[in-house]
Amino acid sequence: MRDVAVIGVGMIPFGRRDEDTLLEMLAYASLKALDDAGLGDKTVDAVYVGNMGGGIIQHQTAIASSLVDRLSLLPAAADVVENGPASGGSAVKNGVLAVASGYYDTVLVVGGEKMRETTGWRATDFVATMTHPQAEYIYGVTLPGMAGMFTRLYMEKYGVTREALVAVAIKNQHMGGLNPYAHVEMAITKEGIYDDHASIVNNPTIADPLHLYDACPVSDGAAALILCPLEKLKNPAKPPVVIAGFGQATDTHTLQEREDPTDLKAVTLASQQALEMAKLKPSDIHVAELHDAFTILEIAESEHVGFFKKGEGAKAALSGKTAFGGTIPINLSGGLKARGHPVGGTGVAQVVDIVWQLRHELPKERQVKNAKNGLTVNFGGFGNNVLSFVLRRVEQ
Amino acid sequence: MKREIGIVAYKCKKCGKLHYPFHDRCLACKGREFEQVKPQGNAKLLTFTRIYNLPWGFDQRYLTIGVVEFENGVKAMGQLKVDESYPLEVGMTMQPSWESVRVQYGEDVYGLALRPLE
Amino acid sequence: MAIDMELEAVLRPTQYPMPPYPPKVITLANGKKMVVRQAVREDVPEILKSVHPCLFIERDYYDIVSARLYGELLAWFRHRVKSEYCLMGQVDGYLVGVVNGRMENEKVGMSYHTLAIDRGLRIGSHLFAAKMEYHMEYLNQEEVLIVAESPIGFRRWMIEYPLEETKIPHELGGGDSWRLTREIYFKAKPRLVVGDRPVPPELMEEAEADIKFADDDTIRERIAGLKGR
Repeated sequence: MRDVAVIGVGMIPFGRRDEDTLLEMLAYASLKALDDAGLGDKTVDAVYVGNMGGGIIQHQTAIASSLVDRLSLLPAAADVVENGPASGGSAVKNGVLAVASGYYDTVLVVGGEKMRETTGWRATDFVATMTHPQAEYIYGVTLPGMAGMFTRLYMEKYGVTREALVAVAIKNQHMGGLNPYAHVEMAITKEGIYDDHASIVNNPTIADPLHLYDACPVSDGAAALILCPLEKLKNPAKPPVVIAGFGQATDTHTLQEREDPTDLKAVTLASQQALEMAKLKPSDIHVAELHDAFTILEIAESEHVGFFKKGEGAKAALSGKTAFGGTIPINLSGGLKARGHPVGGTGVAQVVDIVWQLRHELPKERQVKNAKNGLTVNFGGFGNNVLSFVLRRVEQ
Repeated sequence: MKREIGIVAYKCKKCGKLHYPFHDRCLACKGREFEQVKPQGNAKLLTFTRIYNLPWGFDQRYLTIGVVEFENGVKAMGQLKVDESYPLEVGMTMQPSWESVRVQYGEDVYGLALRPLE
Repeated sequence: MAIDMELEAVLRPTQYPMPPYPPKVITLANGKKMVVRQAVREDVPEILKSVHPCLFIERDYYDIVSARLYGELLAWFRHRVKSEYCLMGQVDGYLVGVVNGRMENEKVGMSYHTLAIDRGLRIGSHLFAAKMEYHMEYLNQEEVLIVAESPIGFRRWMIEYPLEETKIPHELGGGDSWRLTREIYFKAKPRLVVGDRPVPPELMEEAEADIKFADDDTIRERIAGLKGR
């Protein structure tokens, strides 16, 4: 198995992109990554496209085939990878395996979603399609609803307070304000979303005990990577970043069949696999992008990947340990909360953000000094299909 | 008309693990033979939430959803038919029924409804 | 152009006496303070400067809402509508939202429009609630008839209050009205109507000194995209 290096990355600003079609967004992000890799006028061997809703929202299927045609990447092998909100992560995994196996030398991985093409009610319904059709979906449960039920149990078990959730929201929106690619660039205050009585309108309950500012926005956007074997890199212009480890694990489909619904087993397993493969411990990680579709998940995942003991994640968030400058900065891109969550694109965007960190290419207000090792967690379903990647900077 | 609870749970004939919804192979021992089990008795509320941003197809302001465990161990999700201000608590006993939980393409869709046991 | 006041006496409709709306201040999610106060007729030409760029924004029905709002405010200014009022939201003196409506008669109010110029801060929700507060608590009306042109409005009002359906046509000429009754209003008030009175003097002074307007491009950018706030 060969080491897999990321030699190019690209992202387009996330947000409401009425002017762009899904294919256009995927193409723009891909071109940026190709240019970044110095392959602007070259082809690749294989393409993996992470996307969840093309068939449902855009009424368009087989988009990998459309993309390679648009981008003149023919006759590259091309697949669409659908794994709910972990479509991006799964696309990355497939790309990594393709290169590591020795079969393909240059691989484009791109993830994207155009969710704002439709109304909020339909977007909510689209996201809910990943729940169990007879046992969950029919009841009108939504992903915020699943998260609300999880949060209630997590708060009861570990004493997580709303203040901790508010701290995560404020941190991530602040970082979003520093990120030109972020969907939400508005800093919020504790007064406006929690302390003042106007917060009942500013930050209403969406699925109690979760509020509006505990949830990520509905976004359009795309991000891309170019992967190639490390051994083939000669005099790279930038220090290579390798995907040193990956992991994926699944758990029961329905919430009720989890042995302990507060135990995100798939997160623990996936991140353990990734860290073991990379021969690293959680304490070796300098920066992480976790899947904070809901603020509670950033806290829970920070525990399940091993940054903090179970029940300590909330305290860490409140004390600034996970902020820029903290002991383990999490979601310096703004996370899903502020950078945005075009579902199929997120898993790829997380890797792009970590690559920027490990290349030391970010402006100093977001760059972790001497970052060498990074970790991502991309959550699919509600915790029932999770991918994790560990990336490492290769010094020359 | 009081309808029968339309949930069928599956007890593995080899190891006894109870499943709902259906799995082709037992989650514990990979067995393939199951005995059908209906949920019995009342249900204990394991967790719940009130959802305010509803998916397409719902015209109401909010929906209360919960996960419950029946007296014979069957666990399921259902709609809690309570007012917004009703003081729900984890651990409460709920009375199950089988009612219309939504309307799709003009037809009622039936599912598990739960009310606090008075 | 000289106005023939004798002719005006025939053309101008009679007005119901309308007690003033006491100004209030609301803390927004980003920590900024929005002063909500009533506009006077003389403010209309300035307000229209902010409404004007919205006439050309299709996104979220801004074009139709601002076109109708423009006409309504102009009608008020030119004394051609009965008992209209207008409330404004200002942050740092800048106009961030406008709502209007009128008294159909002593008991029934007619809600006109809600235009949010700064987005992502629930300004529309806050100002709509303020005008319902005006109808119910200061004009002491029994009900308000409401329609929505945009799905966002529909979600925030028809579903979130919730409002009652009626078969009464709304004077805007679109769908049938929905109704807010005193009962629904007071039940929804704790979760939908916020704000502090009185407004601290320095904020009030800033708001009253000048109705500041961002330039057309900034307004278009605020409505169409959310970068750089």
